[in-house]
Amino acid sequence: MALRWSRLSPQLALTPALAVTAVAFVGAIGWTIYLSFTRSRRLPEYTIDWSEWGRQYSRLFRDDAWMISLRNLITLGLGSALAIVFGFVLAAMIDKEKRGESLFRTVFLYPLAVSLIVTGAAWRWMFNPDMGIENFLHQIGLTGLNFSWLAHADTAMYGIILASVWQSSGFYMALMLAGLKSINSEIWSAAKLDGVPLWRLYIEIVIPMMKFTFITCAILLSLGVIKAYDVIVAMTNGGPGQSTYVPAYFTIQALSSSGNLGYASAAAVMMLVITAVVFLPLVLLTAWQQRRRAEAVK
Amino acid sequence: MPRVSFEHITKTYGHLTVLDDLNLAIEDGDFLVLLGPSGCGKTTLLNLLAGLLDVTDGRIVIGDRDVTDLDPKDRGLAMVFQSYALYPTKTVRGNLKFGLVSSKLPADEIERRVAWAAKLLQIEPLLDRKPAQLSGGQRQRVAIGRALVKNVGVFLFDEPLSNLDAKLRTEMRMEIKRLHDELNHTVVYVTHDQIEAMTMATKIAVMNAGVIQQFGTPDEIYERPANLFVAGFIGSPAMNLRKAKLSLANGRTEAIFGSGIRLDVSDYDFSARPEDGAEIIAGLRPEHFGTPDGSVEGAAGVFNVPVQYAERTGPDASAYFRFEDELLALRIDPAIASALAPGQAVSVGFLRGKANLFDARTGQRM
Amino acid sequence: MSELTVAQRAAGAEIAIDRAPYFPRRKKMITGRSIAVLVFLSICALFFAVPLYVVVVTSFKTMAQIREGAIFAPPSMWTLEAWDYAWNQACSGINCNGLKVGFWNSVAILFPSLVLSIALSMVTGYALALWNVRWAGPFLFLLFICAFVPFQIIMFPLISMTSTLKVYGSIWGVALVHSVLSMPVLTLIFRNYYKDVPQEILSAAIMDSGSFWRIFFEIIVPMSGNILIVILILQITSVWNDYLIGVTFGGFNAQPMTVNLANLITISTGTVAYNQNMAAALLTAIPPLVIYFLVGKLFVQGITAGAIKG
Ligand SMILES: Nc1ncnc2c1ncn2[C@@H]1O[C@H](COP(=O)(O)OP(=O)(O)O)[C@@H](O)[C@H]1O
Ligand SMILES: [Mg+2]
Repeated sequence: MALRWSRLSPQLALTPALAVTAVAFVGAIGWTIYLSFTRSRRLPEYTIDWSEWGRQYSRLFRDDAWMISLRNLITLGLGSALAIVFGFVLAAMIDKEKRGESLFRTVFLYPLAVSLIVTGAAWRWMFNPDMGIENFLHQIGLTGLNFSWLAHADTAMYGIILASVWQSSGFYMALMLAGLKSINSEIWSAAKLDGVPLWRLYIEIVIPMMKFTFITCAILLSLGVIKAYDVIVAMTNGGPGQSTYVPAYFTIQALSSSGNLGYASAAAVMMLVITAVVFLPLVLLTAWQQRRRAEAVK
Repeated sequence: MPRVSFEHITKTYGHLTVLDDLNLAIEDGDFLVLLGPSGCGKTTLLNLLAGLLDVTDGRIVIGDRDVTDLDPKDRGLAMVFQSYALYPTKTVRGNLKFGLVSSKLPADEIERRVAWAAKLLQIEPLLDRKPAQLSGGQRQRVAIGRALVKNVGVFLFDEPLSNLDAKLRTEMRMEIKRLHDELNHTVVYVTHDQIEAMTMATKIAVMNAGVIQQFGTPDEIYERPANLFVAGFIGSPAMNLRKAKLSLANGRTEAIFGSGIRLDVSDYDFSARPEDGAEIIAGLRPEHFGTPDGSVEGAAGVFNVPVQYAERTGPDASAYFRFEDELLALRIDPAIASALAPGQAVSVGFLRGKANLFDARTGQRM
Repeated sequence: MSELTVAQRAAGAEIAIDRAPYFPRRKKMITGRSIAVLVFLSICALFFAVPLYVVVVTSFKTMAQIREGAIFAPPSMWTLEAWDYAWNQACSGINCNGLKVGFWNSVAILFPSLVLSIALSMVTGYALALWNVRWAGPFLFLLFICAFVPFQIIMFPLISMTSTLKVYGSIWGVALVHSVLSMPVLTLIFRNYYKDVPQEILSAAIMDSGSFWRIFFEIIVPMSGNILIVILILQITSVWNDYLIGVTFGGFNAQPMTVNLANLITISTGTVAYNQNMAAALLTAIPPLVIYFLVGKLFVQGITAGAIKG
């Protein structure tokens, strides 16, 4: 086949993106994986001591801070899942009760527009033990209540979860609302005619129909949780002690504060592994969906 | 105006072979219609000619140039698409000009051509509108105009009328025909609509499953279908195709149907000497029957059949008779159609010299 | 399925709902259930709105009033002191020139990021969606994976590369990293959008001109109005709100506003001036909030498309 300019120009146009992907993503990932097997400290070292190539990893799993990070990751994941539930409830209510839809939507979604550093700053202030909400609660006589969560190692994660839920519920609400609106409106009339109570309709028909939306939300949430960094910096900076460390925070600490490149690389590789575990269902889901669509076309 | 030829064209998509060693030549100034059912590879063939797809094997020649490896814009052709494919953000004028600007024509020549095409197609008042502000028929005209201004020798149309309503379709059919008569371009026109093919074409290529079944003038295709596929595809109601046996007794050649009815085909122009007892399929066009219960004098054969039903389509009527467990379609006078009662047996003669005979094994015309 | 089209469908559904009663119907009585739902929604709205309220009132208070502890009370004396201090004098590290430094850095980062990332991903999406590129499928899959890779795994190599290119610690470095990191998602969004351009239009254009770039600039770009606005909003907010890239690649001289804010609020020495912190937080939040309240619907389309690709 003769070389044609019209064939060539799209390929030429793709070279920058291809180069970026190859260098900044594929190459960089390989680089970090390689570094994780070396003894690199502040500067990269490129010799691998094959007798103990996994030393960074074994150190990692003996490090309390890393184990705390993993535990916190799970806590944060489970806690933030409330945002999906909350988002669904809000979406269902807005969808049924059309009054005030756009107002409510605007209010529920605005936290998403601001930086997590701002969110963290606001919640850090409200959790202040002396002048924040706790003080207000005590002033109105609720002296038994404790709202200075960030100040204590055992409750600090809950503070972060609360801020995360506040920040992200609107997002899941928006996704759910889109899912709900794509449900055939005749279902509602049919249920009304059949006299099916609304809650049963939701549990037995609507939620199963929105299976895909729920799975999508769950995966997005997991990916978001793995990346959680800004909100930790702004609210607790990992403290008190190391009680609010998460892998993303741990990794960056290892690199920038402790200056331990090999160790940070090993932690980053573990983050990638966790992402892959979460990501796999998404890939399968996409493939499955495509197959189903291909079948539908036939 | 150039001649277009396809030589040994093969096209595969992965494992699917759509066209296999296809040959076709279109004479200069011809209006060729590629006719065939959906999915038979017409669009594929047209896109190969346009250069929008690459041939897997073979050669395409336009005029005396081998264009197989040329870019679409360098092949010297223009195309009108089924969905019109007008550029939505450009005005009608912008649509017409887009293909000319890159050809480095002087500005006044571009203006002249746009004005010429707009006048020819009566779209002058629409020149400054966007496609969204046009009706279907107007969009169609603009799409044709966009092809005309390029002033090339070969025009390609891919089912251009299928998105129009019946009335507009007839109108545009005449319009396209008129343009061809006036400008005398070579046209390759793809459709699955046999009326379009019969009315517009100077040559028809009937395609099925990627193979050209017959290539000829509309009259040849209609009167001497080359095989069973063409016989069944062209004509509405479709040709009646019935199994029969040839008999060469008594100095006559006859087709004998299962029920014993005989059809005299002594005057049939056999391409090879017929054999006695050969299994054949007889093709009888609905309009080649006499009046039911009318005179059967001089008929090639007489059918005594019960009426199943009759239907009237405006000026025409068709009657269906039960014949050997299948329906036999006849085109008849509407006045007679209304007199036919279901179940009533009639006798009807088949005109002499009108039968088509096919070899039952190969499906080819005898 | 792109979420964008879902969102568009949702918008369509809404219009249909608005139009539904063609003939006047008996006005529906508000039912008990409706009231319960509205009350619940209002309480939720309160939960979402309270932090904003607290931040706003705190930023206008004096420290003296804040120390009294009534966090929900409106300012007894409205003052812009904290705002002025946050803008002009607040310290970020050893520099005490206020958030205005970071603000202008953020603005300076924003423009090259937008131009670079949109240009790159728009062309890539167009080539992948509408031109016959044999390896488009595998490449798209790779981009899809890249869109979800955690930043930490490429952080050190990127620092290394930007140092080699001598852009580490500069506005350009931050902008470059933003463009690189947003390329996969934006490309996927553009590709999904362009996938819906009818193939025949491209065929017609190929026969008319055949030029990749001419078709792009004359036919495709004019058809991209909607998606461009959505992506623009998505990209403005995400670049503006970013902290991690700014703190990693900004060095000392190119720190965006969020980094200044984070430094301010995480200071552990001395008494914390919460009014200044809140004023600083608001200053940082105002640009994206303005966009959100002006064109919220497009913003939502952007983030959902960005999250889901398709
Ligand atoms: N891009 C493609 N990939 C795989 N198969 C295709 C493609 N395009 C067309 N085909 C197949 O080739 C055959 C011919 O298609 P086409 O030329 O469009 O038919 P027509 O225009 O006659 O309706 C069909 O069976 C179709 O499924
Ligand atoms: Mg076709």
